[in-house]
Amino acid sequence: MKEQGIPDNRNNSRKAAGIGIALSLAACLFILLLAIRAGSVYISVSDLLKIIGSHITGKPLPADVDPMTDSIFWTIRMPRAITAFLVGGALSLSGAVMQAVLQNPLASSYTLGVSSGASLGAGIVLLCGFTLSGLEGFMLPLAGFVFGLITVVLSILLASRIDRSVSNQTIVLIGMVLSLFVTGIMNFMMTFYGDRSKQLWLWMTGSFSARNWTHAAILFVTGIAGFVIFFMLSGRLDILTFGELQASSMGVDVKKTRITAILVASFLTGVSVAFAGVIGFIDLAAPHIVRRIFGPSHRIVIPMSFIYGGAFMALCDLAARTVLSPREIPVGAVTALVGAPFFAYVFFAKGRRKV
Amino acid sequence: MELLLKNVSAGYGSGKVLDSIDLSIKDGERVFIGGRNGSGKTTLLRVMAGLINCEGSVTINGNDLSKMKRRNVAKLIALMPQAGEMYFQYTVYQTVLLGRYARTDGLFGGFTNRDREYAEECMENCGVYELKDRLLGELSGGQLQRVLLARTYAQETPFLFLDEPGSSLDIKYRAELCDYLGKWAEGKTATPYGDVRNTIVAVFHDLGQARSICSRTVLLKNMTILADGPSSEVITPEMLEEAFDFDVAGYIERQVIVR
Repeated sequence: MKEQGIPDNRNNSRKAAGIGIALSLAACLFILLLAIRAGSVYISVSDLLKIIGSHITGKPLPADVDPMTDSIFWTIRMPRAITAFLVGGALSLSGAVMQAVLQNPLASSYTLGVSSGASLGAGIVLLCGFTLSGLEGFMLPLAGFVFGLITVVLSILLASRIDRSVSNQTIVLIGMVLSLFVTGIMNFMMTFYGDRSKQLWLWMTGSFSARNWTHAAILFVTGIAGFVIFFMLSGRLDILTFGELQASSMGVDVKKTRITAILVASFLTGVSVAFAGVIGFIDLAAPHIVRRIFGPSHRIVIPMSFIYGGAFMALCDLAARTVLSPREIPVGAVTALVGAPFFAYVFFAKGRRKV
Repeated sequence: MELLLKNVSAGYGSGKVLDSIDLSIKDGERVFIGGRNGSGKTTLLRVMAGLINCEGSVTINGNDLSKMKRRNVAKLIALMPQAGEMYFQYTVYQTVLLGRYARTDGLFGGFTNRDREYAEECMENCGVYELKDRLLGELSGGQLQRVLLARTYAQETPFLFLDEPGSSLDIKYRAELCDYLGKWAEGKTATPYGDVRNTIVAVFHDLGQARSICSRTVLLKNMTILADGPSSEVITPEMLEEAFDFDVAGYIERQVIVR
């Protein structure tokens, strides 16, 4: 039934995707640069490059650069912007994968109770003053991470206990039930320690203030590891979006793939929540926008979600610290305020690609 | 090669759908599975493809399906599902190419040129090559069904299980489907066990379509097999009345189509 002379436009669409990727990368670099430069202290691009160069090569700072500028940019702004970027990327990656695995373009890793679990962990540390010796500074992120992961593992265990094939509805429902339960415990605790709840509130709305290179380095390593694993799973993720039965009949080990993907995604979310607090919306919006632009194939969705999520987060953090400067807005509030209307617009605007 | 079901029972939750079924299907056969709505046809197909848990044993060539790797099962058995809702908007071409997944290898599992060519051939055979850049959400029910059929062919398996493949097709495509399936069933497919004769197991509601493709008929009723044998012997007025609880032959006779 092939008609004569049908042009094979595979090369054309590849070229279009290539241009899209290149433009996105350029925009992302621009945003990162903006996030580093914008603020009350001005720096020229050449000075910024000199600072970066001197730290990478280990050579002393050129005489024409003010050491004060160096310390502001190298120890405050750059790690902050990069941490924001990596957290946004990791959240968006895990959102993209959760959506494929749960076969629902509007799901997110928060569905499984990662954030409520993490909040409870942080809450216990903040409210009860519980601490381990040697880890004082890291208690909050550590507890957030551990509790977030425990909640997810618990949802999966419960789900597989109830339903041997671990179906989507079971996972989502159990995640919701656990989330509500955990939030209940949290609210219960807060009635006893009302005086410290402001600190907890700050953490629950997210912030990147005072993040350093250690944070960025840990996030970089976990982010890259998650990215590589997901990229390897991309074919299986594509197939999983067609549902459990079809995926299984096409040769995918559904249970194994699903559990691996959920655990890695929760790990990424857990680490992000641990270092930045609870920041919603990016994991939902960024992958959605990426699918609109590049289509649903995970080979493109995975890398682009990282880039878009990262850039979006860097931009939101920039807004958080500059719009009402010197006052800082919680970045979780910014992502929701900026993101929700934008997402609504994208979602309801008539487009060719529906998802 | 033989697909063998021994004492198989299956169901969803607490409800039983199939009760102690014994069935053997050898390569080269063309089997029609018939029965009323809810008689367990789809469940039987899923059990035979190893997609849902069941009691009893399902083996292919002596290997227990539930213990085999899914990837290896998918090289022997392909199941064309009934079309459901598509939440993610892949293009037709991407969708059909995914049928080749079980044949990809390597850490990143990319598709080869042979995979692409094979997928394109399947699209041409199902008449969807012209639609290859369309999104799944933009297709009509019949187009979507042909895309799923193409994806099922793309798995390149000797056993083809079809769940109402013609239900949304117009009359021309139904005729083409019958022709193509008949031609395909004459051939063989290379597998890790050597060349295996092509085998069709299909659920149809159109008895004419069933008769024209399938030489063997299995009728299901009350969770068990009511009749199993050559289509010419099983598809009789008496047997159909028994299976469908009404006078099927009389109904067909009363239908005025072209005169």
